[in-house]
Amino acid sequence: MKSATLKHHLGFGLFGLLMGVTLTATGFTDFTKVHEMFTFQSFTLLLVFAGALVLNGVGFAVLTRNKKVAKKKFNKGTIPGSIVFGVGWAITGACPAVALAQLGQGQLAALATLSGILFGVWAYRRMAAGGVQLDTGVCGEEG
Amino acid sequence: MMTTIWPWWTGSVGLSLVTIGFWLMFNRPLGVSGSWARVVMWRNDKVLGEAEAPFRNNPELLKDALMEATVAHFGEQVVQDALASRRSSAGSARPMPALKELAKLPLRIPWTAHFTFLAMIGVGGLLTALVMGGVHPQVTLGTLHTQLFGTGMSNWIALFAGGGLVGFGTQLAGGCTSGHGLSGCSRLVPASLMAMGIAFGTAIVASLLMNLLGGLPL
Repeated sequence: MKSATLKHHLGFGLFGLLMGVTLTATGFTDFTKVHEMFTFQSFTLLLVFAGALVLNGVGFAVLTRNKKVAKKKFNKGTIPGSIVFGVGWAITGACPAVALAQLGQGQLAALATLSGILFGVWAYRRMAAGGVQLDTGVCGEEG
Repeated sequence: MMTTIWPWWTGSVGLSLVTIGFWLMFNRPLGVSGSWARVVMWRNDKVLGEAEAPFRNNPELLKDALMEATVAHFGEQVVQDALASRRSSAGSARPMPALKELAKLPLRIPWTAHFTFLAMIGVGGLLTALVMGGVHPQVTLGTLHTQLFGTGMSNWIALFAGGGLVGFGTQLAGGCTSGHGLSGCSRLVPASLMAMGIAFGTAIVASLLMNLLGGLPL
């Protein structure tokens, strides 16, 4: 394996692991807790996310000062896509990362969610390749 | 289910370490839905790799192809004029970038690394469960989800459909909770703030509706 590739596997693996641990240990993989966040019965998960945003805000401000960093652009898909995602998030309690951690944790129901995500991503890509141009790209896909 | 949950700020630190660490190591924003796209469309890697290969091996070929595309886009006259003006001001003009540099197309991160990323999120869940009281496989998402969507077939259908919406929606929106959320919102990127605000708002409305239809208190 080329060293560049090895670095990618190790780095992606490490950050994936840390993400899975964090999401599970703080309760993001618990449907009940996610639902309680959306219905204003509990603010713990909201705090986790808000805290991460603050830390990231400081981190990025320091790291990217004097630098021009590419920003995601608004496009026709931003609003409808976010609405569709929001409904799915409410039903499954999962975003694309959480469903994976749920399964690892032993929640076999996540198999259905993951199959759905797989199908949804595939269906969108199929549609986009078929000429229905709605977006200008997903984060990370250009890499 | 887990008995102990880490205090909220450890989660903030963990998620932030992932976002910032990833950015430092790979000089790009974290994005889980992007990784999903790369894994689902894994065949594209081969197609693109094959299309790029001749240009990587032969800078002259790349130069010719670039010139051809430039002429096709701007017309031959414009290109001739540009070349002429470059020649006439040879002393002050910036030199053309070396062809070898030009041919160094950035190497694509292989889709397998994105697969490793997704798989390790699952492994993270497994390890955490093992440390925090063991893995207890269960086929529903808990009592509340069962109250809302039932057990058996209706549960599976709801989750598959919901997962489909998550997959399709995040691709259409150009990002999810990590790309738009952790990476975008923290840098106050307008499109990301809008995407996360709308996704969150919709999830709130949908969750309240689910309570209403399921006969639960709002």
